[in-house]
Amino acid sequence: MSRTADFLAHRWVRLAIVLIVIVVLAILPLVLPVFANQTLTRIGVYAVAVLGLNVVMGYTGVVSLGQIFFVGLGAYVTAYGVVNDWNIVLVFVAACVFSGIVGLVIALAAARLGGLAIAMVTIALPIIGVPLAKRLSDVTGGSQGVSARFSDAPDWTGLYNDQWQLYIVILITAIAFVAGRNLVRGRFGRAFAIVKENEAVAVSMGVSPYRYKVLAFTIAALFGGASGFLYMVAVQYTSPETLSFSHSISLVAAMVIGGAGSIVGSLLGGVYYVLVPQATNAIDPNLTTISQGVILLVILFVLPGGLVSLPRVIRRLARRARPPAGGIQEEGTVRPPSEGIGEERQAGPPAGGTEREERQGQA
Amino acid sequence: MNMRSKRGALVGMVAVGSALALALSGCSRGGDSGGGDSAAASPGITDTSITLGITTPLSGATAGPGTCTVAGLNAYFGAANAAGGIEFGDGKTRTVEVKAYDDGYDPQKALANFQQMVSDGVFLETAGLGTPTNRAFREAAIDEQVPQVLVQTGDPIFSDQQESPWQLGFVPIYQNEGSAFGELLATSTAPHKVAILSQNDDYGQGYVEGFKDAIAGASNIEIVGEQTYEATDTSVDAQLTQLAGTGADVFFNAMSITPLAISALQKAQELGWLPSWFLPSNTSSPGAILQPGNATAFPGVYSVAFAKAPQSPAYSGDQDVVDFLANLKQYADYPDVPAFPHCMWSYMIGATLEQVFQKMTEPTRDDFMTQLRTVSDFQAPLMLEGTSVDTTVDGQPAVSTVQVQKYNGTGYANVDTFG
Amino acid sequence: MGTFLQLVVDGLATGSIYAALALAIVLVNQSTGMINFAQGGMAVLSAYIAYVLTGWGVPLILAIVGAVVVSFALGAVVERLLVRRFEGGDPDTAIVVTIGLLTLVTGVCAWIWGYNNILFPSLFPLDTVDVLGAVVSIRSIGTILTIVVIMVLLQVLFIGTKLGLALRAVSFNPQSAALSGLPVGRLLMVGWGLAAALGAVAGALVAPELTLTPGMLDTSLVYALAAVIIGGLNSPIGAVVAAWAIGVLENLASVYIPLIGHDLKVVVPFILVFVVLILRPQGLFGRKVVVRV
Repeated sequence: MSRTADFLAHRWVRLAIVLIVIVVLAILPLVLPVFANQTLTRIGVYAVAVLGLNVVMGYTGVVSLGQIFFVGLGAYVTAYGVVNDWNIVLVFVAACVFSGIVGLVIALAAARLGGLAIAMVTIALPIIGVPLAKRLSDVTGGSQGVSARFSDAPDWTGLYNDQWQLYIVILITAIAFVAGRNLVRGRFGRAFAIVKENEAVAVSMGVSPYRYKVLAFTIAALFGGASGFLYMVAVQYTSPETLSFSHSISLVAAMVIGGAGSIVGSLLGGVYYVLVPQATNAIDPNLTTISQGVILLVILFVLPGGLVSLPRVIRRLARRARPPAGGIQEEGTVRPPSEGIGEERQAGPPAGGTEREERQGQA
Repeated sequence: MNMRSKRGALVGMVAVGSALALALSGCSRGGDSGGGDSAAASPGITDTSITLGITTPLSGATAGPGTCTVAGLNAYFGAANAAGGIEFGDGKTRTVEVKAYDDGYDPQKALANFQQMVSDGVFLETAGLGTPTNRAFREAAIDEQVPQVLVQTGDPIFSDQQESPWQLGFVPIYQNEGSAFGELLATSTAPHKVAILSQNDDYGQGYVEGFKDAIAGASNIEIVGEQTYEATDTSVDAQLTQLAGTGADVFFNAMSITPLAISALQKAQELGWLPSWFLPSNTSSPGAILQPGNATAFPGVYSVAFAKAPQSPAYSGDQDVVDFLANLKQYADYPDVPAFPHCMWSYMIGATLEQVFQKMTEPTRDDFMTQLRTVSDFQAPLMLEGTSVDTTVDGQPAVSTVQVQKYNGTGYANVDTFG
Repeated sequence: MGTFLQLVVDGLATGSIYAALALAIVLVNQSTGMINFAQGGMAVLSAYIAYVLTGWGVPLILAIVGAVVVSFALGAVVERLLVRRFEGGDPDTAIVVTIGLLTLVTGVCAWIWGYNNILFPSLFPLDTVDVLGAVVSIRSIGTILTIVVIMVLLQVLFIGTKLGLALRAVSFNPQSAALSGLPVGRLLMVGWGLAAALGAVAGALVAPELTLTPGMLDTSLVYALAAVIIGGLNSPIGAVVAAWAIGVLENLASVYIPLIGHDLKVVVPFILVFVVLILRPQGLFGRKVVVRV
């Protein structure tokens, strides 16, 4: 095992790293420039959305092209709650729970269908969602959208608005990521992996694919709802465009580019989703489409496993550069990357390992 | 694992931690922009230049009109800069720099662009296209006290000074255009049956609302059919079939999608339904829509406008139009004759901004907003006779009067009565 | 009755637009096992190429043929240089690669030709005929007939010819196909090339009605995907029948079911997908695929 892994194996090392991260996150909003805070806020919004998508698509293998629908749903519920003066914590809970329930209902109906059919059902969500949001204009404000101001910094904090918003987003994003990480590292995560590998094997092991797909989809919807709440924190306005189908496609792309089936990858996916449009604007605002296409393809070409596989790829290249010290070196691993703060992907069943290897043999 | 390595590691961690803390506290935090000492210059303006920002769709379905919004602005200020710059009311001559940002008609990206603009230091935001995108950062603009002016949406909220103290719309509110045609129709004393097809959003709804208000009192005008369509629809054949069945003799159209307007024109003829048509200002181009749609088959095609249509042969010798097309080509990299009116509208926005700049005595956003509301009776280049820019009326955008016109086979001619 | 028939006929015409794209998607899927999100974008690029050729004075038919040839080459090259790398790997990554391809192709079209709506000449005259009280445009009839011809050709290709068999073998099990002596790489390129060529015809057929812009087929893609899934991923006939069904039922639902109306008529294809797949998971005309554990 490498020296870094050795180093990170000590529990108190990991604890210290966590403490440092907390301290950094606490002071970051106070020192960064306004635009950096605002960008980080928006990154947090979409990182949570991509995390939800990863749970159902990256870990459980259910193609979902409708994640943005739950983000929009969460945003609208938040707007409704704010406009009607609900307590802000209640609004957050409502956004998550309402989206989760809708996701549960949809999953109960759709999870029995085959892979492609589920994909179609998820495509239906944003495509039907947009005209539906327009039609229910009493609740949603119709095509003009609805403004909900609630994330301005209260006077007693002495903070600027962008700092306050970033704190809220950091808090909720951290909770979401910790929850997500614990989920996929535990029993559920292993079950998701088996369902993704081979449903027949899962059934034979007593793991019900149907039940776990429903669970994964509901969790994705829940995270989507939370992301919608964060969207309103950041933008304070929502309209039918929030949940348009093209964003769903962008979320899937962000997930794969960040790293499917990886917690850190979800964060990187959020970074990609927010930073690339800003970067392409800086290159040339008239050529944003072509730049985004080029960036996406170049990243995938060089890193088919996503940005999160960069350390692994660098290590592999470094190892190739160094002649092997005798014996056969450990071959380029098939496990998705586990760098970062002592985080590991849950161990899959040993039998599954070889199949995965064959599938990802191209990289 | 011995004690020495543990201690060494601990020291290392503390070192890393303190280094991080030091580095981050070293980052300077940019002060909030916004209102301040009114004598000191606002961001985005120096003694020799002023920077304008525009966030508009430069990709996606609305990129056609969106590209025009930037082109018109670049054309106007490119020419002005080449002539030496604009002389401001404080005596200084400044060049105008236009920074464009693509938002793809996504409200979240529009807000991001606005935040970027503020961080990049623009003086004001202008000419952006789209209701949800402009709405997304309207309140942020108010908070930051950054003017968001002469925006290209007919949403009335931008022209309400109570609601939007730092905003002003440019194009007429949708209701105005609809009612202009309704008033024209009301000049006719013959009985009329009207069929309505509108886009299912605030744009279409605004048009229809204005139209209905204008014909409210007329007992000889009856609405016999009303249908909607989505901007993403592949075809409006079904709606046309339904409306043709009503036997209406007037067809009020609030459509903003070019291919759908063309196919609607064609379908009506196929069905043998030949009413008089009304088309909105942004979907009435003779070259792009009426000729492909064979609009001369109908007894009359009406539209509203406040800009001269460059394709019209009537204006081929008009100096304004000639200059406009030349400037578009030279300064905005736009060699074709515009298929969307937004190119002309942006050009007028440039001219209106110049008027305001010439009145400004202080290089501040506050003074800009004060002077902005004093422009009246300004005939911007390319404006039709009878229309003008007037920013003094609360609740009305910069342009509130439109001309009703009738298609004459090659271009448009003003009309006062229906028929 | 007149309205009903008119709606049906118009629905068939609109459905043919979806069918054209759906056939290309079926072809790529049959020959490489992938769903190509960029199919619509590539068809649009082909239509632009045809447009450029007509601009050089080439008669329309020849311009379309030229675009078909160029598209075949382009499709083959894209497969070899871009898609090949991802074919055996994670299917989600492959999907995102095609999404990236779509973005790139759309961006290239926008960069070269801009976003304005370009009028594309029609192969068929703009006249109409009367069919039982309903008015049908010659253009619609021409489109429908062309789609039927292509559908039959595709069906024959897959079931009746050696090439079709080879294409299917390669996509089903590349290793076995290679061991049997089939030139796997070349066949993959042919599969994509054929799909791109088909897309060129589709693009040229629908461009007159939709006007040529970079995003011309974006909305149709979703309908085409629905049609492919309803009809069965491996059946050209299924895709076309499903596409027609979508077009017709959408029109009828929007007019005769006020609750749905014109704004929510988009639920129709999805309800269809749901219903058909619950009753018949392999699609209307699809073959059941058995996976051995």
